[in-house]
Amino acid sequence: MAQGRRVVITGMGAVSGAGLGWKPLWTAARDGASVIRPLEFARDYPGRIRIGAQVRDFDAADLIDRPTLMYCDPFTQYAIVAADQAVAEAGLERSTVGGADCAVILGSGIGGIRTVDDGLFNLYAKGVKPEPLSIPKLIASAGPSMLSIRFDAHGPVFAVASACSSASQAIGIGMQMVRSGMAERAIVGGAEASLSVGTQMTWEMLRVLTPDKCRPFSKGRNGMSIGDGAAMFILETEEAARARGANILCRLLGYGTSADARDPIRPDVDGASLAMRRAVEDSGVSPDEIAYVNAHGTATALNDPTEAEAMGRIFGARLPEVAVSSTKPVHGHALGAAGALELVCTIMAMRENVAPPTINFLEADPKCPVDCVPNAARPMKIRTAMSNSFAFGGVNASLVVQAAD
Amino acid sequence: MELYDQIVEVIAKEGMVEADKIKPDATIESLDLKSIDIVMILTAIEEKFDVYIPMDGAFQEAKTIQDLVDALAAHIKKEKS
Repeated sequence: MAQGRRVVITGMGAVSGAGLGWKPLWTAARDGASVIRPLEFARDYPGRIRIGAQVRDFDAADLIDRPTLMYCDPFTQYAIVAADQAVAEAGLERSTVGGADCAVILGSGIGGIRTVDDGLFNLYAKGVKPEPLSIPKLIASAGPSMLSIRFDAHGPVFAVASACSSASQAIGIGMQMVRSGMAERAIVGGAEASLSVGTQMTWEMLRVLTPDKCRPFSKGRNGMSIGDGAAMFILETEEAARARGANILCRLLGYGTSADARDPIRPDVDGASLAMRRAVEDSGVSPDEIAYVNAHGTATALNDPTEAEAMGRIFGARLPEVAVSSTKPVHGHALGAAGALELVCTIMAMRENVAPPTINFLEADPKCPVDCVPNAARPMKIRTAMSNSFAFGGVNASLVVQAAD
Repeated sequence: MELYDQIVEVIAKEGMVEADKIKPDATIESLDLKSIDIVMILTAIEEKFDVYIPMDGAFQEAKTIQDLVDALAAHIKKEKS
């Protein structure tokens, strides 16, 4: 078990296909109400797979002041709106949350790809010059930088880019900083706004997108759907939170990360299980205490059996008793924001004592011998839970949370 | 060239396998064809024959070269008919 100060989460916020706030995201996940819908793009989509979980009805001009908005690609917009919610829920103010010892760490797999996509389309296809602020908008660190400015947070401030493990790594590193005393507070999470004609087509070429329904751990699964969004969390020490009378959502107990160091795209049992083992060891709990796992669960042919086998190495004979679900068929795979959206679901599963379902499940696949809470939420006591993220490039990250007493 | 040979040619090129090793009963595993190789092969088949190959169904289940070629040939013929 790691030494240091105990870290808690006192506020969270989200932007997703379900709407603004963590509540609509959690409600959709718990009720199995998918927000994956036909995609709407400004330009014609030449591909065949036209579904995803876009953020809709998001009026940035209504939510963010104009001088700030000039510098904000949609991924930064989502991060700011989610962070504003998290700060408010933590009982803090924009002017008081930051300061000299406040870290901002944001995961994003791609950064400002929509600014890139629009800029290059206009330049190459129409000969229109890029907008002057394209560079500060598209850089991967635009998100954390704009958050640091908004909240007067003097750092450390940086972006984490590890594809689909970005958010979980950002949250984990933030926890380590607060735990060690390197920061007193950390604003952490993930943001992604990748859905565009160019990126959807690129994903389609990799043949990991489902043309119909995302069915993690199920027979007949044939891929995932991409989602956009962000989720942000306020981390601080339990001592500081109690001293200021803050409402504690949960403890952030453990973080583990690993690299497969093998294949850029093929998931790996050794690497995935090593991240989980490190997270469990870091948390100081026994694997027997973990009641629920929010799985990476992409519904690709390869991820789900690999993840199931890796979990088998952690839970052993107890694996069938652990509730393991993937909420990706509800909110989509949000890539660099996935670990953040899914941590919201993990925390709320614990707070409400209900495991959200894996929807679209048809029948058990012997290659995925997990109890994936098929199709219907399950009320159950959850005191300790884990969330998994595994990424292209072979970077894995797991987080362990526990209910505050 | 027969459709079978045309498909085998694509498998050899995209999968980086020697053509004479691609026997009908050779398993995909024995040729060390990974999922990404299959992605490259299917994409090249799409280009060559101007068809769309879905990612689910028989292509995922194929164990041998014969299975894969049969599934591809049937699909190409169906799309072209």
